[in-house]
Amino acid sequence: MVAVSGPLLAVAGYWALLSRCGGRARAAAAAYSSVPAVSSRGGKQKEASTRRTSRPSQLIRSHAPPRTERMAVDQDWSSVYPTAAAFKPASVPLPIRMGYPVKRGVPLPKEGNLELIKIPNFLHLTPPAIKKHCAALKDFCTEWPSALDSDEKCEQHFPIEVETVDYVSAGTSIRNPKARVVTLRVKLSNLNLDDHAKKKLIKLVGERYCKDTDMLTITTDRCPLRRQNYDYGIHLLTVLYHESWKTEMWESEKTEKDMEEYIWENSCSQKNALDTLLRIKASENASNVTKEELLASEVVKNYRNSVVALKNEGETENNMSQYKESVKKLLNIQALP
Amino acid sequence: MGRFGDSRVSPSLSPQVVSWSRSCAPPALGAHRDLHTTPVCFKTRAARVRVGKGDKPVTYEQAHAPHYIAHRKGWLSLHTGNLDGEAGAAERTVEDVFLRKFLYGTFPGCLANEVVLKRRANLLVICLVVLQNLAPSKLYFLIGYSETLLSHFYKCPVRLEVQTVPTKVIYKYL
Repeated sequence: MVAVSGPLLAVAGYWALLSRCGGRARAAAAAYSSVPAVSSRGGKQKEASTRRTSRPSQLIRSHAPPRTERMAVDQDWSSVYPTAAAFKPASVPLPIRMGYPVKRGVPLPKEGNLELIKIPNFLHLTPPAIKKHCAALKDFCTEWPSALDSDEKCEQHFPIEVETVDYVSAGTSIRNPKARVVTLRVKLSNLNLDDHAKKKLIKLVGERYCKDTDMLTITTDRCPLRRQNYDYGIHLLTVLYHESWKTEMWESEKTEKDMEEYIWENSCSQKNALDTLLRIKASENASNVTKEELLASEVVKNYRNSVVALKNEGETENNMSQYKESVKKLLNIQALP
Repeated sequence: MGRFGDSRVSPSLSPQVVSWSRSCAPPALGAHRDLHTTPVCFKTRAARVRVGKGDKPVTYEQAHAPHYIAHRKGWLSLHTGNLDGEAGAAERTVEDVFLRKFLYGTFPGCLANEVVLKRRANLLVICLVVLQNLAPSKLYFLIGYSETLLSHFYKCPVRLEVQTVPTKVIYKYL
């Protein structure tokens, strides 16, 4: 081999010669498809000198084959890819090709394939690897408290929910201004409020109360730090609670327009109904019935219920038919359908 | 004395006549101030290797123009800065430009392809495809030197993942 190798050591055929020296049978004909001596950083790459011309042939040593050729089928894959790493063609024993092929060609092979390196791979997250992660993390976990085994119990013991968001991004800075936002959520049924206090609280918070879920949501982001925003939110909740229990002097000026729900007592509907009934009774010359008797009678009570239902719940089929029946009974007109 | 690039050669005028023509410029005296234009060239030339005689070897990265990104090509730099509502895109881009220049100079003549940069939280992973020009010991030294210098410079862990190939992987010849 020594006599032949001298004049034949052109750069192009150099690596192909080495492969023959190494004893691997591979056709080294095509210019780009012959990549026999690809090794990753941990591979054994033996090279005598850095000069591209005139390498003494005695110092040329064969290249080690890639690691994939010595891998057992049942090897421990989590030791090949223990952490997230770029794609290493000499460590992954799969014949993968990637890339848009030239006409009448095939995609490029995996050796030196930049497209395979660019994409993130999950070779480090096979199911056995994840099982190992979980087993290692188990030592640091504590049991969920057995007393809190249902949602209702959690809500009963911890009525206030505090929500904060942490942001992770790629870069040298961990700061993110969106992380200072704090959201407090509490159900008003868990707070100790009487009727007046609850109505006053709902009026004070306005948009932040959701009637369907009975949930008060306070979102604070006016302070630069999350701890400050949390403290401010708790302070707001405390102030709202105490203020809603107090009764100010000007609250006695509450008009019918401020009322949250319809109250029939002392309304014009009650006045009209009683007036009508009294006049009917007077025209029939019946015995003088008093207002209290009228109010206590069944028909008036029915009428009251139907009017209150209509005003508070809106117009539904049920409500309208109930109202119709109660008016018919009130005015004693059974004849109409 | 014709002005270069001018389609018309103006006759050599004495200075007095020239200055007079500049002030009131009667067309008969022939001192013109023309704007020279070529027909407009509408071609985009960004990141494209022009077709030659068929002897120019070209890698997959070079062969595909920028409009093939996300169709046939991936991205060379992956970070969260360009996502909606995320900050830091400009800083990451400036870092990328510096890193590519730095690596192009540190591994002279050895880079077989573009450098791929990946960022994972604080960690910066630089993926290189290197030709087998250098001795392994020299290559290892350059890798260690780059890692140390860049991590001290950017104050974050920097990891180089190097792959070696015997020659540049040629996609086609243009």
